[in-house]
Amino acid sequence: MRPENYQAISHPPSNEYELNFGPNHPGIEGNYALKVKLHGDVVVAARADGGYLHRGFEKLMEGRLWIQNIALVPRICVPDPVPMEVCYSMAVEALNDMEVPERAQWLRVLQLELSRIAAHLFTFGGHAATTGMYTTMYWGVADRDQILDLFEEWTGGRVYHIYNIPGGVRRDIPAGFLDRVSHTMDYIESRLPDYDNLFFTNQVFVDRARDTGPMNQQQALEWGVTGPNLRATGLAFDVRRDDPYLVYDQIDFDIPTEAPGDAWARTLVRRQELKQSIHIVRQVVEKLPSVSGPVRTQIPNPLAWNVPAGETYTRVESSKGELGYYVVSDGGDKPYRVHIRGPSSMHAVQVLEQLAVGARLEDVAQIMFSLDACPPEVDR
Amino acid sequence: MSKTVTPWLDNLLQEIEGIEIRRKDSRRVRIDIAADSLPTLLELLRGRAGYVHLSAITCVDWIDESQFELVYQLWSYESQSLVSAHIRIARDPGVYVSVFDLYQPAAFFERDIHEMFGVYFEGSPDMSKFILTEWNGPPPMRKEFDAEAWVNETFERKEYQPDWLKEITEQGGGIVKSPEEARQKKP
Amino acid sequence: MKNMKEIDIPIEASVEQSRTNPLARVFDELVRFCRSRSMFMLHYCTGCGAIELPPAMTSRFDMERLGIQPMVTPRQADILLITGYVSIKTLKRVILTYEQMGSPKYVIGICSCTVNGGMYWQSYATAKQLDQYLPVDLYIAGCMPRPEAVLEGMRKLMDRIRSGEADGWKDYYRRYDWYLGNQQHLFGDDWQTPADVIGEASHYDLAGSGTEGEHTHLLQQCQKPLEPQQTFFQIGGSLEVKGESHE
Ligand code: SF4
Repeated sequence: MRPENYQAISHPPSNEYELNFGPNHPGIEGNYALKVKLHGDVVVAARADGGYLHRGFEKLMEGRLWIQNIALVPRICVPDPVPMEVCYSMAVEALNDMEVPERAQWLRVLQLELSRIAAHLFTFGGHAATTGMYTTMYWGVADRDQILDLFEEWTGGRVYHIYNIPGGVRRDIPAGFLDRVSHTMDYIESRLPDYDNLFFTNQVFVDRARDTGPMNQQQALEWGVTGPNLRATGLAFDVRRDDPYLVYDQIDFDIPTEAPGDAWARTLVRRQELKQSIHIVRQVVEKLPSVSGPVRTQIPNPLAWNVPAGETYTRVESSKGELGYYVVSDGGDKPYRVHIRGPSSMHAVQVLEQLAVGARLEDVAQIMFSLDACPPEVDR
Repeated sequence: MSKTVTPWLDNLLQEIEGIEIRRKDSRRVRIDIAADSLPTLLELLRGRAGYVHLSAITCVDWIDESQFELVYQLWSYESQSLVSAHIRIARDPGVYVSVFDLYQPAAFFERDIHEMFGVYFEGSPDMSKFILTEWNGPPPMRKEFDAEAWVNETFERKEYQPDWLKEITEQGGGIVKSPEEARQKKP
Repeated sequence: MKNMKEIDIPIEASVEQSRTNPLARVFDELVRFCRSRSMFMLHYCTGCGAIELPPAMTSRFDMERLGIQPMVTPRQADILLITGYVSIKTLKRVILTYEQMGSPKYVIGICSCTVNGGMYWQSYATAKQLDQYLPVDLYIAGCMPRPEAVLEGMRKLMDRIRSGEADGWKDYYRRYDWYLGNQQHLFGDDWQTPADVIGEASHYDLAGSGTEGEHTHLLQQCQKPLEPQQTFFQIGGSLEVKGESHE
């Protein structure tokens, strides 16, 4: 019904208009918004509008014990929660000068890579959906569920695992688990040709993604782009190799790159990373039985755990890019300050604003998915 | 290519006033520097040493010393090392210069620090609110802002008095110790 | 805090209109059955619980076999799924969305965060109890609930629609003053939405003693005619320069 105070809004006749793109929009990833200014259907300016998923994590973490925060951190990036746990645990370990048992490190790598595969499959699904290919979305989500099943058996949680704690991991893998991991990897690898046919070499997708949202290496470096998006511009940089953490320096893997830097290249890089991750998981599966020992070091009573004063910046490579935690302790039982540098805080704000300009409106969603932007990471 | 910061850079840096360099390990260098000299340092690091990637800017509120600490994390793709530059600025009025002309990612971090801590960055392209557009209170990340008190004042808690619990309590059972009591016992 | 207290409003028994058609009850039954069998849920991910919806919708758990499908516009949707915590900024949009949906409409609160704030109980940015701002028909607790739980919740809602118990939307009209009071408490006194809820309430014959009150009076005082939204592209940024080149 029309409210009594209804008045039609008159606009001057113009080809230019502004549009709210999101937060309640099927093309937007998560709960996020863009204000776009259009000329016809070409975007001439875009401004990101975030904060819909803001929970004030950095404040919350200052009010909780070191160990309690483990339950908080995975919520920061929902599709790919494991790097959050690992990175935070690594930061606390660095503050404590704590050694992590080798077996725990391998288990963490296994978890990180499984999570990366799951996140990439999810992103492919979302990206395909924005180009109208819903079958890929159905497949991607269903195949991701295979990995979530592994996680569930391993840690008890499908999405949030709360499995990594400072000093190691909570418990060892169940009996026969590695066989099931290998089996799932075989399955996912056998699916890759299907994905190629359906999505990656699909002419509809290639035509739409080619030359959409291009950036060159120079721009990418200027804008602080990291992760697969940077590698899609031809720079082979990966925190796992260039600033190694855990046992990544003992693992053999390639860093796939592509030169063009458009949406198509970014997706192809992820497609090849999927293969590399499967390769890494296989190595871990092979290696794990020969690494014995405990899976965590003794930590003091976690309810009265005063972490020595200091500061540290740890970073890991998440599926979206470089993830960093800056943690300051003043010697108390709670963090003094935690700052989370999510990779998407660059991709979803400045980079997206720049890349959307010149694109057509229907490609904006595609650009956002090809950047693999994760809004909760921006808002925190 | 050496994996550490090259010695000539060390010498160069020594010439900047009020600088203190600490090497944490082969890939991590911590630099404490006077607030005035930071733009010079960043220019040197970016222009001469290849530290082109600004990973993060963090603000830490040292309320007891009445100072804000700003930490700039810089990564070099060439020497593969991370420099963290620390400066202190006065908490009041909390104004500093933007490094946007050197590092574009700074725009996001400075905007974020502005709304969370109220530090103003002169020359930053956009200081409007991004996340907290509907927030009228003080900058929430400052230490003096007590989020829990604000929540208690603004929201009501749900009361948990399910019938089954009442029944048990009538028979003398139920929750013997409230969570608050249980927590207090701990050292 | 005083306006946050729940006031007891006698809910008038809906006036039984004398129904002349002998088949009226049969029709009612039929309509409710049809409603419960084709539900369109609005596609709006407010929080992290939304990540379990794609599995629930796609081939593995396949909600569609229950007749539930995502819908992209609020005006065609029946169910508003609140998937997790709502930050205050989102809550405003959620209320706007809810008021745009056509009746009958149902709200499901997924996740513990919608019940009582969940693990963000001390966060300054999230609203704690969803049912103070919107009538919630069903909660699905869990952090986060599994897809099976979501399906189970949907089945419950179907049953409640069939039996006519899911009438939260009527409650919104009957006690609009109370809901509005809570909204004003959080968003400030000048909070207004484009929908004319009181008018709708009388349209549906649901206006009662709780529909209007001090808060709706406050709303009427503060109400301004709708104006074009301010342009977003005034503040100087690196973007603006590019905007002009397309002329
Ligand atoms: S209940 Fe858990 S999963 Fe759901 S919104 Fe809250 S934190 Fe996220």
